[in-house]
Amino acid sequence: MLKEKVGPESSASQISTAALLLQHEVEQFYYKESLLLDRHEFNDWFDLLDKDIRYFMPLRTNRTRRDQKLEYSKDGEYAHFDDDLVMMRGRQRKLMSDVGWSESPASRTRHIIANVIINDASDDQEVHVTSSFILYRNRLERQVDIFAGERMDVLRRSDNKLGFMIAKRTIHIDQSTILSNNLSIFF
Amino acid sequence: MISRKVTNMTTAKTKTRLNIGHEPKAFEKKNVWNVEEITALLDEENGTLDPRIYSDQDLYELEQERVFGRSWIMLGHEAHVPKAGDFLTAYMGEDPVILVRQKDRSLKVFLNQCPHRGMRICRTDGGNAKSFTCSYHGWAYDIGGNLVNVPYESEAFCEDFNKAEWGPGQARVETYKGLIFANWDKNAPNLREYLGDATFYMDHMLDRTEAGTEVISGMQKWVIPCNWKFAAEQFCSDMYHAGTVSHLSGIEAGLPEGMELSDAKIPTVGYQFRAKWGGHGTGFYVGEPGMLVAIMGPKIAKYWTEGEAAARAERRLGSAERARQLMVQHMTVFPTCSFLPGINTVRTWQPRGPNETEIWAFTVVDADAPDEIKEEYRRQTLRTFSAGGVFEQDDGENWVEIQAVLRGHQARKRRLNIQMGKGRSAADNPHYPGSIGYVYNEEAARGLYHQWIRMMTEPDWDTLGPK
Repeated sequence: MLKEKVGPESSASQISTAALLLQHEVEQFYYKESLLLDRHEFNDWFDLLDKDIRYFMPLRTNRTRRDQKLEYSKDGEYAHFDDDLVMMRGRQRKLMSDVGWSESPASRTRHIIANVIINDASDDQEVHVTSSFILYRNRLERQVDIFAGERMDVLRRSDNKLGFMIAKRTIHIDQSTILSNNLSIFF
Repeated sequence: MISRKVTNMTTAKTKTRLNIGHEPKAFEKKNVWNVEEITALLDEENGTLDPRIYSDQDLYELEQERVFGRSWIMLGHEAHVPKAGDFLTAYMGEDPVILVRQKDRSLKVFLNQCPHRGMRICRTDGGNAKSFTCSYHGWAYDIGGNLVNVPYESEAFCEDFNKAEWGPGQARVETYKGLIFANWDKNAPNLREYLGDATFYMDHMLDRTEAGTEVISGMQKWVIPCNWKFAAEQFCSDMYHAGTVSHLSGIEAGLPEGMELSDAKIPTVGYQFRAKWGGHGTGFYVGEPGMLVAIMGPKIAKYWTEGEAAARAERRLGSAERARQLMVQHMTVFPTCSFLPGINTVRTWQPRGPNETEIWAFTVVDADAPDEIKEEYRRQTLRTFSAGGVFEQDDGENWVEIQAVLRGHQARKRRLNIQMGKGRSAADNPHYPGSIGYVYNEEAARGLYHQWIRMMTEPDWDTLGPK
């Protein structure tokens, strides 16, 4: 089904039903995934991470136009997150712990996912997707944080309830200095 | 301590406009707190601390001149700026500075402010530069901070305009085993004297091999709405929070498969150090690597405690205990340079008003460590001690809540308890220099606040300096 080329270069007259269906499937996956996080069904969310997950958020720096290629930190450099499944499962244990103070009481979050673009669906098992997010967090009495950015995902076909697993997630956050006391929530 | 009234001090007038600064025989900023009031903020004898030390705007502004204008502030690592022209923008207190590697390998630090109309000269985080040009009117500076070009100088300026006088203010720069420090005060003791007996403990991270340390590229920055002293004090003096409840979930997050929370035995043996002079402090457990395994994983724990690298560290440090058995060491070099030997996160707490701190953090590794170990340090420090770190997340939680509570009048009125270990440390340990006590202790915190009070009240290094 996913074999034919779909992507941003498709012109309106050429959009196939398969491409429309895939777009719908991917968007529905994101909406349901967001709800898992926003409703604190964290165990179900962590189960969406595939065994080879890389959950990666590079640093973002202020550079001249000439040095723009240095804006994001690279592989092997410091980052906000660069986790494999073992590390993510550790974060899950912290989150579910009775003594995980940074998320107990829990943050109230709302993930808004938009601008979903399927870049590559040539492999019938994997879809490469770019999307934008706004993540609102409200916490304790009056803390408010708003994060925005772009996610670059590799989603993998699965027979789970949501239809996909997350094989890769790269998050480009639209902040250089993180304007929050911590990043105890997930993107 | 001293009873002189700061109110009687006059502003020192000096003809030297630029360069390192004035003769600080008197403070410039008019104070609303007198010496007796500042001195009373800490009562070492009874072990109490006035919470206004964390919340008062006037104290904060005095601090900018008296603490951050006179202390050695850590800006980064030599490996951040390896080549001529490599630069980082950084801060000394609220003052932005540019740190630049010179052609002769020396380092310069100058105020990131164009003396013409006060514009920030450099607006990026770092890079490599041949010169810096102010984007307001085009005044250009070489990498040493000398003003070298002024547009329309001959057509528009005047006879007594002298470019040599109009470079930004220069700070003193010195390094200790890779870490770069700067100081505005030309009368302050040199860095080695200032660090004093603290270097013994810094070496546990910085001098394990003749190759020294290098950095994992990248500086992580984030904002915590709390006073910088909570962070500086905790890294100076507070193993108590780690050994009790703050970080239990962080430990849970790092347990290797098959290891339970109860297996990560929290040691009961350990020491805390208070510097003889200077407000520096450190503490560590002595013993089994269980807690290091839980924080950094088995690979790093093994590297730190067994094998060739650990044996080399033992030879260099001259002690198997210091090289292999000090666990979860925390340390602050007064005022804002903090790090964790073994975990190897290094940071400067940047004050941003009494109620806010920016954290600038990076990771160091032995320069000759195998690539696999360097990579593991990168992954584990960003998993544990970073904005999203499973340990550091909870520190942010504690400090923010204290700061919020301190808005209350009653909350600020009641002095806080800082009694732990009072009268129980002594400078007679045959193995460890400085004043040494039990690992759960607030002697180093009392040392940090003692130094803070001295810097806030003593204008003259003749009385303030290390003897």
